[in-house]
Amino acid sequence: MMIRNILALAFNDLAVALKNKTIYLILFIPLFVFVSLKLLDRTDVDIHKIRIGLLQHYAYAPQILGSVKAAEKIIEVTWVQNEEEGTRLLQEKKIDGVLLRNEKEPGSLALLVLKKESLPTLAIVESFSALQKAAEGISTSWITDIKPLHEGGIQRQTLPTWILMLVLLVGFIILPAQVAEEKEKKLLLALLQTPIREMQWLIAKVIMGMVLTMMAVLFLHLLGRFTVVNLFDYIAFIFAGSFCFSAYGVFLGFLCRNQASARTLGVLFYLPHLLPSALSEFSQKLTVVAPLMPSYQFYEPLKAILLEDGRAANMSFELVYLFFVGLFTFYLSSLLMKRRWLM
Amino acid sequence: MQLEILNLTKLYDQKRGLQPTSFAIKKGELIAVVGHNGAGKSTLLKMLANWILPDRGQVTIDGIDLKNRTAVVKKVGFVPEVPNLFDFFSVEYNLKLFAFLFQTPFLRVDEILQEFNLLAFRKNKIQELSKGLKQRVNIGRALLADPPVLLFDEPTSALDFEMTKEFYRLLHTIHEAGKTILFTSHRPEEIKSLATRIMVLHKGSLVFDGSPQKYFQSEVHENLYA
Repeated sequence: MMIRNILALAFNDLAVALKNKTIYLILFIPLFVFVSLKLLDRTDVDIHKIRIGLLQHYAYAPQILGSVKAAEKIIEVTWVQNEEEGTRLLQEKKIDGVLLRNEKEPGSLALLVLKKESLPTLAIVESFSALQKAAEGISTSWITDIKPLHEGGIQRQTLPTWILMLVLLVGFIILPAQVAEEKEKKLLLALLQTPIREMQWLIAKVIMGMVLTMMAVLFLHLLGRFTVVNLFDYIAFIFAGSFCFSAYGVFLGFLCRNQASARTLGVLFYLPHLLPSALSEFSQKLTVVAPLMPSYQFYEPLKAILLEDGRAANMSFELVYLFFVGLFTFYLSSLLMKRRWLM
Repeated sequence: MQLEILNLTKLYDQKRGLQPTSFAIKKGELIAVVGHNGAGKSTLLKMLANWILPDRGQVTIDGIDLKNRTAVVKKVGFVPEVPNLFDFFSVEYNLKLFAFLFQTPFLRVDEILQEFNLLAFRKNKIQELSKGLKQRVNIGRALLADPPVLLFDEPTSALDFEMTKEFYRLLHTIHEAGKTILFTSHRPEEIKSLATRIMVLHKGSLVFDGSPQKYFQSEVHENLYA
């Protein structure tokens, strides 16, 4: 009897999980990870050439030039007039690094890169190390110093990803569940029995999401003591991103009848928005897919502002895009609310 | 007429919901809406409360069209079957929030707390209250804006005997204050002792509309509870 009851209850729980769509997560997460790994680990992906800048008026050792020329299939050389031009091309992401004379250690080279802890830097160092071994067979490195344009260490390098996670957490996990809860407990209908307008409720929800996001971001900055050079540009993007994903989250909440469904749907949106953007640096395939996600249009500018001193003026498309997605989902929410969708 | 309803319709599928229904209600009537489960009673009340949008039809309350939600909500108070209050907050907070949204002075909250014997519970969270107390807070909230029309959906379905008696007393008091009341019910004794008019819905259609005396003598009552 006891086992029969347990089985009956377990089946009931499964049925509830199916009904409130929790079961979809069981299917979705492995599927999503599988697809992401496929994109990351495909063997037929074209190897991205290392784009290296060399100074026109510097006499590089002949074995270096010879090795670089011999490795033209993996190294693409761009000749630059001087260090300034190399820096500019680096910032424009037209090259991955510039080989300069190492002032501290004559006869060896310094590598100028955007970020010290990055895949392109690692690829350059490893490639040149391999070339040197092949050419000279000795272990003293041609590159004896790495000069990053942006200082800050690994903590700062990962900051845009953490910020993206916070914004998406509020947008896709917290807000949909809250909206669905208000629907499920008929609190929204109770509020709509007062003279408030639907639009007022929606705006309040979006503002709440934006305030939560900004509080979380501020808290993170205070804890990590992260400073921002272009503060107003940064605030503009945090504002646009929090608006976009808060409105998006409210819309997702409207698609669900209860909290359990909202949580499931939230995760279904959270992962695809987070991973391609955060992992796009590691995969060419993901780099192609990621820009389709609104999160990428938030993450890339954020990265540029935080790590490369980028300016919002150069990212007006992304800013407009985020506001457009926010306004569009806000409009959809207002339509669903007026129709008392799943209330 | 205070409430005029013309061809009000809401069909979930071709069988469930409310078929085109028309009737009018005078000020001060206490109407029991009776019928089996799925007869359309709650659908009717929820449409009048703006919870559900009708497919067709027109409703005016004190001359205001139901579609004008922000104006009509001041005319109608709705008490749903399950209290829909913010559980984590106190009785006072809940009432003050809605008073604020109704633009009613907070003094009215104190009046409601006193009127409904809730003063001792004003600081209690809703989740700590009994069903009867929650229902009292719910009714108090519906009366915050002093609406002339009150709708109760199955008000006593979750209440025990004592709480039900208390609710009847409350309903009498509200009715004596001149309010027009519509309530749905399954209980014949409730209908008999409270209503001044009875409406019977069957499969979404209005099949009886008259006085309690006529209703209890009619075949409709016998058929309904056969």
